Amino acid sequence: MFESRSTLSRVFLQAALTFMVIPFLIPLYVMVHGSFQGQGLGNYEAVLAVPGLALFFRNSAFIALCTIGIVYVTTMMAAFGFSKLRVRRREVFFWMMLAALTLPEVVLLSPLFAMAAEVGLYNTFWAVIIPIAALQVPFTVLLTRIYVDGIPDDLFEAARIDGAGTLRMFWHLLLPLSRPMAVAVVVLVLINTWNAYLLPLVFLIDPSYQVVTLLPQYFQGQYNDDQTKVLAGALLTALPTIIAYISLQKYFERGLAAGALK
Amino acid sequence: MNLAPPGYGWIAPAFVLSVGVIYFCIAYSAYISTQEWKGGSAGGTFVGFENYAEALGNPLFWGALRHTLIFFLLVSATQIGMGIVFAAMLHSQVRLAVVYKVIIFMPVVIAPAIMAPVHRAVFASDGPINWILIHIGLGDLAQPWLAQTSTSLLVVIAVQIWSTIGFAFILFYAAMGQIEPEVVEAARIDGAGNVRLLWAIVVPSVRGTIFALLILNVIAALKLFDYPYLLTRGGPVYTSDFLGTYIFREAVSLSNLGYASALAILLLILAVAISVVVSLRSREREVVRADV
Repeated sequence: MFESRSTLSRVFLQAALTFMVIPFLIPLYVMVHGSFQGQGLGNYEAVLAVPGLALFFRNSAFIALCTIGIVYVTTMMAAFGFSKLRVRRREVFFWMMLAALTLPEVVLLSPLFAMAAEVGLYNTFWAVIIPIAALQVPFTVLLTRIYVDGIPDDLFEAARIDGAGTLRMFWHLLLPLSRPMAVAVVVLVLINTWNAYLLPLVFLIDPSYQVVTLLPQYFQGQYNDDQTKVLAGALLTALPTIIAYISLQKYFERGLAAGALK
Repeated sequence: MNLAPPGYGWIAPAFVLSVGVIYFCIAYSAYISTQEWKGGSAGGTFVGFENYAEALGNPLFWGALRHTLIFFLLVSATQIGMGIVFAAMLHSQVRLAVVYKVIIFMPVVIAPAIMAPVHRAVFASDGPINWILIHIGLGDLAQPWLAQTSTSLLVVIAVQIWSTIGFAFILFYAAMGQIEPEVVEAARIDGAGNVRLLWAIVVPSVRGTIFALLILNVIAALKLFDYPYLLTRGGPVYTSDFLGTYIFREAVSLSNLGYASALAILLLILAVAISVVVSLRSREREVVRADV
């Protein structure tokens, strides 16, 4: 975009950019540097020795997998139905779902909280999975429907004339053809679920049910705010996300950007 | 496709899951909001619109709204401005572009809950921000950022900007990739410099992205919870309180479910009203553009 004719201006551009990304690195530097203060690697040994550390990750992974499964299946089915099948008043149904798009999580808080003891929502993964999935579905259906609308109807028409049932069309046409959008949906839901904090904070009280986003406060409790170990804990908890992002860079960027590029 | 097989069964699961859960919760919230409802599932007594009257007369509610507005304005302006600048720079000839992209986008994917203790360390009295200020000769500006009423909101805003610029950047980067090279070339031949090019060609052609970011920021500001709760608990003295932290405090910490629900319904009305106004206005603008 910007043209730099001379070497000097090219060097200047590079230097300006480097200077401008420093603020992005400060927290990362603080995290790494702080975690090696005091006992050095000992901080990491202490954090890794916390009983049940793996459990936090396993719980997060379980919640993420369930949410992705639910959102993926319902979204693909709904996109197929809205886009390629006969549904009377489809736009009414569609807008009823879209109205939920702007809904903030906290609005769900009091009703869920009021029912919590009665229905037994405390310390069940479903108290987190169902609301998170419900909040994501309108958005993922919107994205996927627009994508599926772009697939020619003729393909499905032809399949039907050849005698394919609805289920076969879904399986052999819709799922393979909408794979690029499905990848974006999976990444989006994965990030949102893995990073979810409010609902786990309220409903997953027992340590054996807690998830990675609750680790920092768990460490703070364990180490009486020993800053170095809290930072070591933050680094260990952030590491899987960082590795996943760097290795799947394109998909993460596409998945998170998909939302706004409708 | 009138001959297509019926699709009701196909949309049912998504419909029941989202519309079912969400509309049920809204209706239940609306019901609770007319009650004086203390504690968990104890039930309540009918008080009509008293909770709403109390909320609208409470300076904490208006304070939270004011912080939401300030947050929206500062985050949007910085995020959009810096997002455009970063995207334009990375569309130019720079080395190691991928490295810069990763650095800028990385904060978007890490959970606020995980980064919050790190940000607390960054803004601590003995943290690197004050260290830098002291070492560049601005020691007078060093202060306890999180612990004083005058700066707590700014810290929450700064941290949010840190973690969302990458998102704006990726959108602008993609949008700028769509600009025809011929247009840029023509502007160059007409003698446009870098700044002129940015203003006259680049900014107008990413207007759609700017608009999308504004909508997303309104929603983000209204539903904000993680960072203010984790960084400052909305304090000190409610100076960084938002609707999200306010509702959480009333519902969970104080078990004041009736009042919390009234706040939630007010929040919902606000969110829906803003989205409707914004989408109507954007449609109007499209119509105008189509006429031209």
